Amino acid sequence: MNFTEILCFIVLFLVLPILISGFIRNLKARLQNRIGSPLLQPLYNLYKLLQKSETISQDASPLFRIVPALNFSIMLILAVLVPWLPFHFSLPGSEIFLVLYLFAAMRFFSIIAALDTGSPFSAFGASREATLSALTEPAIILSLVALGIAYRTSDLNEIFSFSQSHGLMQVSIWLLSGAGLFLASLVELSRMPIDDPTTHLELTMVHEAMVIENSGPNLALIELAYNLRLVVYYGLSAQCFMHALAVLFTIDHATYVLLSILAIFILAFLTAAIESFAVKLAWRNNPEFIAYALTMSLLASLAAIFQSAFASLSLGNLGAFL
Amino acid sequence: MIPVYKKLAINELANTIRADLEIEGNRVGLVTSIDGNQLITLMLNTRSGNTVLYQAELASDSYTSLTTTIPQLHWHERAIHDLFGLIPLGHPRLKPAIINESCETIFAPLRETAKPISDKLLATRDFEYLHISGEPIFELPVGPVHAGIIEPGHFMLSCLGEDVLNLEVRLGYLHRGIEKRITEIPWRKARFVAEAAASDTACANALAHALAIESLLAVEPSFRSQGLRTLALEIERLAMHIGDIAGMAYDLGYLVIAANFSRLRGTALRLAELLSGSRFLRGYICPGGVVHDPDRLLSEIQRTTKNLRENLKPALDFFISNPAVYERLRNTGKLSSSLASEFGMVGVVARACNIAYDCRQSFAQGSYPKNHPTIALQQEGDALARTLVRIAEINSSLDLIDTILSDLPSGTIGSNLPVDLPANAIGIGIVEAFRGELIHLVITDKAGSIKRYAIKDPSFNNWTGLAIAMRNNVIADFPICNKSFALSYSGHDL
Repeated sequence: MNFTEILCFIVLFLVLPILISGFIRNLKARLQNRIGSPLLQPLYNLYKLLQKSETISQDASPLFRIVPALNFSIMLILAVLVPWLPFHFSLPGSEIFLVLYLFAAMRFFSIIAALDTGSPFSAFGASREATLSALTEPAIILSLVALGIAYRTSDLNEIFSFSQSHGLMQVSIWLLSGAGLFLASLVELSRMPIDDPTTHLELTMVHEAMVIENSGPNLALIELAYNLRLVVYYGLSAQCFMHALAVLFTIDHATYVLLSILAIFILAFLTAAIESFAVKLAWRNNPEFIAYALTMSLLASLAAIFQSAFASLSLGNLGAFL
Repeated sequence: MIPVYKKLAINELANTIRADLEIEGNRVGLVTSIDGNQLITLMLNTRSGNTVLYQAELASDSYTSLTTTIPQLHWHERAIHDLFGLIPLGHPRLKPAIINESCETIFAPLRETAKPISDKLLATRDFEYLHISGEPIFELPVGPVHAGIIEPGHFMLSCLGEDVLNLEVRLGYLHRGIEKRITEIPWRKARFVAEAAASDTACANALAHALAIESLLAVEPSFRSQGLRTLALEIERLAMHIGDIAGMAYDLGYLVIAANFSRLRGTALRLAELLSGSRFLRGYICPGGVVHDPDRLLSEIQRTTKNLRENLKPALDFFISNPAVYERLRNTGKLSSSLASEFGMVGVVARACNIAYDCRQSFAQGSYPKNHPTIALQQEGDALARTLVRIAEINSSLDLIDTILSDLPSGTIGSNLPVDLPANAIGIGIVEAFRGELIHLVITDKAGSIKRYAIKDPSFNNWTGLAIAMRNNVIADFPICNKSFALSYSGHDL
């Protein structure tokens, strides 16, 4: 990893979270014939929130104040560990399971903090978040594990690095994993059709209801962590799709980087389109949507298992196997 | 129209109302009092268009509750309790309906001033929610300040997990004393207060007021003004129904369609502006006729209607042909037909439960029932049925606007009114507002000034329907349920 790559990573790491959120918001407005807020509106919002003072429920324990900072720190670590951009730090610890459990830890802490305030709204949000994450987690695990099986390693950086040789079978694994991850991330990030991030209806929300008691700088940290989580998830799915593309065509590294960023924007565009044209699902029908994500990741895992089984069965020992 | 007036003894009242309700087409319009010394009940016959007003004198401050045998009166009795300090003995859930207990002093504002307020009233002023006990029960209070820009109302949702076991609606935050104020001002100014009862229903309220006053004065407005009034009423229905569909699309998360309908609502409001000079038709209808003849603008109205129709069609088709919309709305907030009639639902809510009641057909007024469109009926009583009724009414209102515009009689728009109202007279105006049956009742005293002015907004009946429909739905469906009823807070609280 050379100096330019590190510089690129830092710039994208700082710019993309804000830009992608602003892009989705603005695009949604455009699709509704409104002019929409400027691209940097999320940044202005953060600035505004940082200026504000905090209102904290009297029933809240110190945990409630710590959690946003804690989650934000975990998210920072994750953003470095997870290869969501086509640059890879050769850091130890980008293990699939460490990453998965760090995501789970964030969720756990946000749920605990939401219950901590004693507000019925955030408790509802927390209970919904717990239900949804229990349903989506298998999809995310299987998507990543499928790649792990295919490349016989549990190190994400190794899976996503370029040194690997690619066979045609891998295209389907990458595509299915990418699709599974993207669909699951829509649920994880509380976006349509599971949760409507623009609504004011406190009774139907998931993520927004969970953080309803947070305000001021605390809320700013939550928003920032959310924006970062959004690009990490989208970047990871985009990388999956990019790898499928790289198997089919030879792409030089600079183009690859540009296309990766473009892919994240395409996923953001898809999100905005879904949020404008889709009807939010009834709460009881949510598992049906999550089932799509799960099916994709299951198929990816099956393909990966199938492929590695065949790899071990070369023509020579096929006879012995029979 | 002028109702048939009958005097009754208070102990006969319940039996008489019950016997009347047995007859097909009869329904209770309004139960209230004049000054706390009597109960008056307005019975409507939706088949013949006849109305009967029963008056029963009260000997004391309490009477045997009618609710125990006629459940739909439960809300009326709560309102009477608030406004007159009369206690219905045996009422199963007596608590404030209109005047919030946050008012520090007890006042029964419409009660005869000389009469002292009984001590028993003091004891019944606290608002007590229906308490559902049990460990897994979760009580979720919502409001009265909401996250969106809507009117204030408080909802207590008792939930078992995500399922709502009971919804209790608590209103009264918008009580402005409209009924009282109308009795204090000169009757010629009263129309401005009457139409402020619910500002999104300004036209229907002004029309009901005008009809009530005209029936007192025995004045018949000119044919042209009747046509213009009907036009105004249909434009209001059109605009508000489009707005409600937009709100529904927004709650479904169907943002593109929501944005489109919001824009089209603006076009419909432009029709109102062309007709009356006010986008919400305020101050347009007055006793005796209308205040302004759009004359040369009529062709512009015709053009805009045509334009609106062309733009609405693809948006409505897009909305209603989406299977996800059906999936989401079907069986959400279901209200059975039997409960709907038992609790006296009106308007869109009733018609979605297959109750064929539309004041435009039942009570002659303006261009009705000559030009009355077929009643839009649905069987299911769920949010989908209510949305489909609204869409059918959008289309029929557009047709009706076209019909009236092509065939508007010529002539004057106003008529001269006498200076004084007749003494000891009763007049009522019944109008199908966009939410449903709207009744204005005016009673004059022996000096010919207004002694009691009662307004019965359609929401007054339908709030109970929302509470019933919410039961056993998931809590996340509450916004959709609420939006499908699209009830007024200010019209209820007055």
